[in-house]
Amino acid sequence: MQEGRVLSTREVNRDLLRSILDSPRWFWPVVTVLGLILLVAAIAIGIMVNRGLGVTGLNRPVAWGFFITNFVFWIGISHAGVMLSAILRLAKAEWRRPATRAAEVLTLFSLMTAMIMPIIHTGRPWRILYWAFPYDFARGIWPNIRTPLVWDPSAILTYLTSSTLFVIIALIPDFAVLRDHTTGIAHRVYGVLAMGWEGNARQWKLQIIAGVLLSALILPVFVSVHSIVSWDFGMAVTVKSWHSTVFAPYFVVGAVHSGVSAVAFVLILLRWCYGWQDYIRHEHIDALGRLLIVVATGWFYFLVMELLFGMYGRETDELAVRQLQFTQWPYNAWFIVFVVTTYFIPVILWLSRTWRRNLWIMSIACISVNIGMWLERYLIIVPGLTNKQVFTFVWAEYAPQPIEILIVGATFALVTTLMLLFSRVFPLVPLYDVKEGDILKTQMQVGRRTVPATFRED
Amino acid sequence: MANSGVQQHSGGYGHGQHAGMWVFPDAEQVTGDVAGKTFALPSGYKLALGAAAVLTVLGVIGFLLKLSGGGFANPGPWGYYVGVFSFIFMVTGAAPLVACAFRFTKSHWRRPVSRVAELFAVVGVVNLIIFIPLMLAMPPIYNPESPGSDALAQQRELGNAAECCLPGTTDLEVRRTLWFGVPVGGHHLWDWLGLLGLAVCGMALLWLSARPDLAQARLTATGFRRAFYGLMAGGWYGTKKQWNAQKAGLALLGAWYFMLLVFVQFLFVTDYAMSMVPGWKDSVLPPMYTVMSFQSALSMILVILFLMRRKGGYANYIGKAPFWSASKILLGLTLLWTYHLFAFFITYWYGRLEHEENIIRYVFTQPYLILFLGNFVFSFVAPFLTLIWNPVRRSDWGPTLAGCFALFGALLFNLRTFNAAFNTGEHFEFALTRVPAAVWPNFADVFIILGGLGLVALVYLLAAKVVPLMSIWEVKEGAKYQKMDTLIKGEYLVLAKPE
Repeated sequence: MQEGRVLSTREVNRDLLRSILDSPRWFWPVVTVLGLILLVAAIAIGIMVNRGLGVTGLNRPVAWGFFITNFVFWIGISHAGVMLSAILRLAKAEWRRPATRAAEVLTLFSLMTAMIMPIIHTGRPWRILYWAFPYDFARGIWPNIRTPLVWDPSAILTYLTSSTLFVIIALIPDFAVLRDHTTGIAHRVYGVLAMGWEGNARQWKLQIIAGVLLSALILPVFVSVHSIVSWDFGMAVTVKSWHSTVFAPYFVVGAVHSGVSAVAFVLILLRWCYGWQDYIRHEHIDALGRLLIVVATGWFYFLVMELLFGMYGRETDELAVRQLQFTQWPYNAWFIVFVVTTYFIPVILWLSRTWRRNLWIMSIACISVNIGMWLERYLIIVPGLTNKQVFTFVWAEYAPQPIEILIVGATFALVTTLMLLFSRVFPLVPLYDVKEGDILKTQMQVGRRTVPATFRED
Repeated sequence: MANSGVQQHSGGYGHGQHAGMWVFPDAEQVTGDVAGKTFALPSGYKLALGAAAVLTVLGVIGFLLKLSGGGFANPGPWGYYVGVFSFIFMVTGAAPLVACAFRFTKSHWRRPVSRVAELFAVVGVVNLIIFIPLMLAMPPIYNPESPGSDALAQQRELGNAAECCLPGTTDLEVRRTLWFGVPVGGHHLWDWLGLLGLAVCGMALLWLSARPDLAQARLTATGFRRAFYGLMAGGWYGTKKQWNAQKAGLALLGAWYFMLLVFVQFLFVTDYAMSMVPGWKDSVLPPMYTVMSFQSALSMILVILFLMRRKGGYANYIGKAPFWSASKILLGLTLLWTYHLFAFFITYWYGRLEHEENIIRYVFTQPYLILFLGNFVFSFVAPFLTLIWNPVRRSDWGPTLAGCFALFGALLFNLRTFNAAFNTGEHFEFALTRVPAAVWPNFADVFIILGGLGLVALVYLLAAKVVPLMSIWEVKEGAKYQKMDTLIKGEYLVLAKPE
């Protein structure tokens, strides 16, 4: 059902460019606070680099902890962009229009943030060069290209490149609008970015074709990224609970679940911060809620498969990990919180149309999902490594240290800061998409009722 | 008329690449026309019925031959039987869901598709019956050679309960199973109850959806038919309350059917394939099976739609739009199936564990290589290469051709997977330590395969003479919610969105 009124071009330009042409009063104080958090985190990273990874809770055999959990989490969030932009564009879902840009930009920034995490995790960030270059020319030691740990950066960088292209292609018509609404240096910069866009038929045709082609091309990249991240775990036969064939689709669906929830929350924030009630309407949040019921249920199915088949083999090592997850404090408590917050709380809330349209309740549901999804990654990584195995003679429990918690917390500030700065220079709701949607809106007489309708080319 | 001022082209509306894409049947004439087609028995239809009956008889002969050749003492000879059962269950079980899913997403193009899909619910009853021999052919969960000895109890006390091998062997006391023990009634009863639940739910869906059409038929039929349709219509008068109840009922039953189907498929593929191969622990197999069931069900529906459009006189109801829209979903499902297969393959292949490599060799790359290649080509390569072309997807023959490929691929998948599983031999071993030889079909197996397919066709063709193949109420509703109109200089489809 279409809600809201059809807006004139002038109104759309005025409202959606407000964040750029006339920044709100709260903007710089918020950015300053976030900047301070980032500064503190940078100092923490400096201390960690200076003193070594001993300041974290990492140990033998738990060599992966908060940082890698956070890496997987942010990779997951980055799946929102393609889900909402590419898939819904191909599916011609009208309600996607105001959500696409925010989703794509969230993809970019969460990917960048995710990429930082393994670098920090190394404890010696400069050693990341060894990933791409040989350790030692004389001895011919090269990175092992057969490990998923090397596939990862390739997939993530490809995804980042294609997502950036995706955002830029979709921004070109909006750059032209900005060019026409600014003066001085800004005018010149937007002019360069608009690449001579005049909005003629040929340019629109090319832009649409480029959008559709990129949508189709980016889909395999989208699937491959989180699949490869899952294979960081799935290829390891020594950690029994990781060697699971379902990991790739399970991770991808989980990523879409957390990513779309994050986008829904970001949209609610944007609506509130910038007063975009005419653009980000209850119907859009409602539609995202309905989509999320399906995604969440798909994810829950994969979770059940993963747990059931973990026990199906009746192999001692794997049962021991499950025992850790289900029965040992604090993992058992986290496990309950994880399942309840990722599935039961949000889905119960999303089942009611009234609650889907209540922005407070939707915010709670979306945050709940992401708390749960973060815990999911933690519960996959840490108990798997904590489990005692033969031929490992040193064991220790993992307890995250304040420095890790601070750095991980700061990544949320980083993504928020980048989103805010982006909104200061580029529109976070695509102007041309909203205008196109308004053009396609119409009405139809069905019996005695006049109902909303839409023009469709196919 | 809503489409005044817009010209009809090529047997339907739309221009250029969309020529013939949409049809808008006259709502006033739908009921009579569809009823006429339902009750008619043209010669082509009679021929199809006859062929299906002959194949069914062949199947019965094959079954009797198999029964007389050793009964149910050994699961191996029933490998192709379980394969063809799985294929039938895969296609017909998921078909009603196609109607539910696209009704849920309010896709207008689904309207001529719905009944074709829902009518497969009647095959659920057939599934219940042909499943019974499988229950008899399955080996028990509990190892018959288990002495139930004190040595086992000692092993449990020593903490080896998880692996729990019989003393002095690598055999398990209870083969790997979802049931973590031996439930009352084995797992057979529970699997059968799952199928029963699906059959009942599917029939309820069909009845609820067809009720308005049956009420219409009640008005026009005479004699026994009138009494039958009167009974089936169950006092339907089309009041607002009845429509609302029907809408809510279809949504609830659809959701329930979906969950039940996925659950029963998970049980079936785990019990009748994975559990039969020692050491096969593959959490992506049930999702892969489910994805393939959606792919093959949609394919089957496209094939039937094509026949109805080209040969059945339904061209006024079925434009190219259902093919165009369904083809994109079929392409997605094709890719999704391949993705799941790859997720399995790379995990096992990369892990280099001996028993996992043996499973790859056995089920994929050695004795059944030819079946696997056929399965891969027809389930992925051929449909993918067909469906990536826009002009092909916009035709009615393109998606149908891809559907035929996918159906054949699904048949090969089921024959390969289930026949291999039933012929593994040592079902109680802890892991697969060797690669068993392939078992190829004999005459009885070929008869059983043909007979199974013939039986489904026979039941479906008979059901289509009782319940209209076109969901009359949905087609009529669609005629009110769609029209062609002009925007700027072009003519486009306009879709109403009342909800």
